[in-house]
Amino acid sequence: MKFKILKALDVAGLQVFDPVVRLICGENPPEQVRKILLFIGVPIVTFIVFLGVWTYLAPRHTTKAGEVPTPGVVKSAADGIWTFHVRENQKATDFLLEGDAREAALTAVEARIAELEPLAAAAKVKLDELDAAAKAKIDAEAAPLQEQYKEMRKTSRDENKATKAALIAEADKLPVNDAAARDAFLAKVAAFDLKQEADKQAQKDFKAKIDAAYTTKFPEMEAVRSEYNGYEEELQYLSKRLDYLTGDNQSLKIAGESTELNELEATFLTAEGGKATFAAAEKVLKKQEAITRISDSEYSRPWTFPRQIARSVWCVFVGFFIGTAIAVPLGVVCGLSRVCMAALTPLIALFKPVSPIVWLPIVFIIVGGFISDPELAPVHPAFLSSAITVALCSLWPTLVNTALGVASVEKDHVNVARVLRLGFFSRLFKIVLPSALPLIFAGLRISLGVGWMVLIAAELLSSSEGIGKFVWDMFNNGSSQTFAQMFVVVFVVGAVGLLLDRIMIVLQRSVSFDGAPTAI
Amino acid sequence: MKRTIINTAAIVALGVTSVFADLDLEKDELKFGFIKLTDCAPLVIAKEKGFFEDEGIQAEVIAQPNWKTLLDNVINGNLDGAHMLSGQPIAATIGIGTQADVITAFTMDLNGNGITVSNAIWEEMQFNDPDLDTPTPKHPISAKGLKPIVDEKLDAGEKLQMGMVFPVSTHNYELRYWLAASDIHPGMYTESDTGGRTDAQVELSVTPPPMMPTVLEAGNIQGYCVGEPWNQQAVAKGIGVPVTTNYDVWKNNPEKVFGVTKEWNAANPNTHIAVVKALIRAGKWLDEKDADGNFVNREEAVRILSQPNYVGADYDVIKNSMTGTFIFQKSDVRKMPEFNVFFDHYATYPWYSDGIWFLTQMRRWGQITESKPASWYFDTVQKVYQPDIYLQAATLLLEEGLIENSDVPWNTDGYKPATTEFIDGVEYDGRDPIGYINSHKIGNKDAEGLASK
Repeated sequence: MKFKILKALDVAGLQVFDPVVRLICGENPPEQVRKILLFIGVPIVTFIVFLGVWTYLAPRHTTKAGEVPTPGVVKSAADGIWTFHVRENQKATDFLLEGDAREAALTAVEARIAELEPLAAAAKVKLDELDAAAKAKIDAEAAPLQEQYKEMRKTSRDENKATKAALIAEADKLPVNDAAARDAFLAKVAAFDLKQEADKQAQKDFKAKIDAAYTTKFPEMEAVRSEYNGYEEELQYLSKRLDYLTGDNQSLKIAGESTELNELEATFLTAEGGKATFAAAEKVLKKQEAITRISDSEYSRPWTFPRQIARSVWCVFVGFFIGTAIAVPLGVVCGLSRVCMAALTPLIALFKPVSPIVWLPIVFIIVGGFISDPELAPVHPAFLSSAITVALCSLWPTLVNTALGVASVEKDHVNVARVLRLGFFSRLFKIVLPSALPLIFAGLRISLGVGWMVLIAAELLSSSEGIGKFVWDMFNNGSSQTFAQMFVVVFVVGAVGLLLDRIMIVLQRSVSFDGAPTAI
Repeated sequence: MKRTIINTAAIVALGVTSVFADLDLEKDELKFGFIKLTDCAPLVIAKEKGFFEDEGIQAEVIAQPNWKTLLDNVINGNLDGAHMLSGQPIAATIGIGTQADVITAFTMDLNGNGITVSNAIWEEMQFNDPDLDTPTPKHPISAKGLKPIVDEKLDAGEKLQMGMVFPVSTHNYELRYWLAASDIHPGMYTESDTGGRTDAQVELSVTPPPMMPTVLEAGNIQGYCVGEPWNQQAVAKGIGVPVTTNYDVWKNNPEKVFGVTKEWNAANPNTHIAVVKALIRAGKWLDEKDADGNFVNREEAVRILSQPNYVGADYDVIKNSMTGTFIFQKSDVRKMPEFNVFFDHYATYPWYSDGIWFLTQMRRWGQITESKPASWYFDTVQKVYQPDIYLQAATLLLEEGLIENSDVPWNTDGYKPATTEFIDGVEYDGRDPIGYINSHKIGNKDAEGLASK
């Protein structure tokens, strides 16, 4: 049992939990505790230290674009993203609700609205008060400063004007060719210039003070504001839910249309005269069509982050499989034949370093040529383009590793195959590929990692739904949440990438018979 | 706040009326693109307030990364239609940039842009013109205070850099207009210079709207012209000062349109009418006012727009301009009720004269490289602007009692009366494009004889 678990952990690349299992089984506790501390305790401590440093440093670095978010802010941004997802799902559900479930939801929503409205109103009143107070305070502070500034500027202007006039008057009387007097005058003019500069600087500094007065922060007001905004946002969401539970609800719409259909059918049954009957028949058919259309309709849900993540993962796998399907056969051919290797080496070397940003527009044009009507295409062209870009950028490690693996099959094995007079395909599948597999999988693992990194950039450019599009959209929002949302993306991308890598490690280990070590 | 439960209960009691019986829709699941700017509001509102659903349309409204991609997506059919710059359908039709027949039957809004300069430039402008150095300087502010800075830079062998969002954008033409009105040459487009920098005293370059504040702060540009919320963002972040809005450059100028391809319109004529119907209602809803002239629905609109899948900026930032206040400096908060006009002044009607103004600007700055006779301007604009579709939609809405008779200019020939409400007071009459082109000091001139051809 114990060894089975240990073996499983080993294959899954989760050796860090090895000591835990051993400890539970009572094997040499002090040694295991030491290992646990080292392999589990130390990383946890490091992570906590990392969070601590982050929490400490973040508020100390403020740019005009905003503050670096602390872990708490990032958490709340993540919550916001999640809330949006949940709410959109709720709306989609509401659209389809019927019967008692709809009634119940409606009551709940109405109750919540009744609960929130007074809260929102109260918050609004408080906010207005605080806002007025803040404005008054700023004005009280800034107005005298503004006056002072005006005074200061005027004095400086008048003084400078007077000085200038005096200097000109003095210059008028300057004796010609008197070098000493002229030098003295030059010094005076220089001093005047300096004074002007100094005045300008003083005014600038003073203005900064005024600006500071205007940018005074009122934490209490901000707190009330965000509270009020929270209420109003929820109310907005609830009012939309009301729509989907009442007028826009699918079942109600169908019910309404059905009543009309019944009336139309009645009219049709009693209609007389060719023209009228025909018209009535057409109306009935049209109504029936409308009903089918409504029952087929879906709530048009915007893409939310969790769905975008799923779509990105799907896209990277599609791209990865396309890449593998090209790279492995090509690698095998290169490994087997020196001529092929020589022929392809320059091409590989040429295309390998090309960035996804360059591939994407090219792929876009080529894919677009095959898909004339995106509505009818089985896959969205932007999705396909992103996947192919991922394939183009990620196939190189697999290709090179496969070629290397195939080329470095042990001579003895090849000789055995010769002796046994194996055919080409038996030789390929019995000897060459099995011994090249570990290297191929090492290549695949790198490829998947590269593909995941490339994908985000590709999605960002192609506006194919996915994490990349989320990044670009949120960046475009430029809201106070944007910065924190980017941090959320960092963690999500990292976590998914880690997961993908682990999957590849498992695969890689399951094909390596010599227990080849894997990097972390 | 009219979020009463009674209202919705009434709807349930009445049952759901089907409004879309009149129009045979060719297509009922549509995808529309937009750029994250507050003037995409009619599209978003038509969806969120259920105006599309009333027409039997299930619409998806999808943010696009930039104007180029948006146009490409409309042309290749990924999108059915989109929120576009007024210049885009025109430029696409006459082949500036990507060639494609794009038409419009609906103008989304008037005004809505601002010109922002960096703090340093603003300080120098104030130094050059002491009248500007007060908490609330007199408006409109011309580029006069900028002229000495430009000259000084030129003497040092440098050129002032400013940003705009797209070569055929209203922003480009407005910024050029503002500069040229104060004798600053913003550069000409020529056959070999598609960047538009020939003879420039100030160089303009394309920067995507959301990047503007960042690029300004980094010092790559010293000013920009862009739509909201990116001017208010600069104020909020304290990195720049909006000096003027396009309301001052040209009062009530057309801004965005709703564009579709000609092909799409031919395949889905009824759907197009239904879409325009929903958009007209959205425009009307946005501009609804109470007896005191205050907007009734704008706060709700802002609440909707600030959702992350739409404009996504902070509620309090978008709220400024959308509810009719504009912050020029922290000390200078002004009422600008007409900063965004979505319906008043027949804003949604596709005026030929609006299209011709853009054509004249394209000619003035050399994007249209050769002289064209006046008749060419009239023909081109009639290819792009489709008031017929608008009027069909409006007729249906009138029959349904959703708009008033006075909401639509029924009997117009498509040309607004001549106006001099520009920052430099030059008169514009859409019926005389050649005369208008020639009335500017800076820019291309055409032979007078072309006016009658």
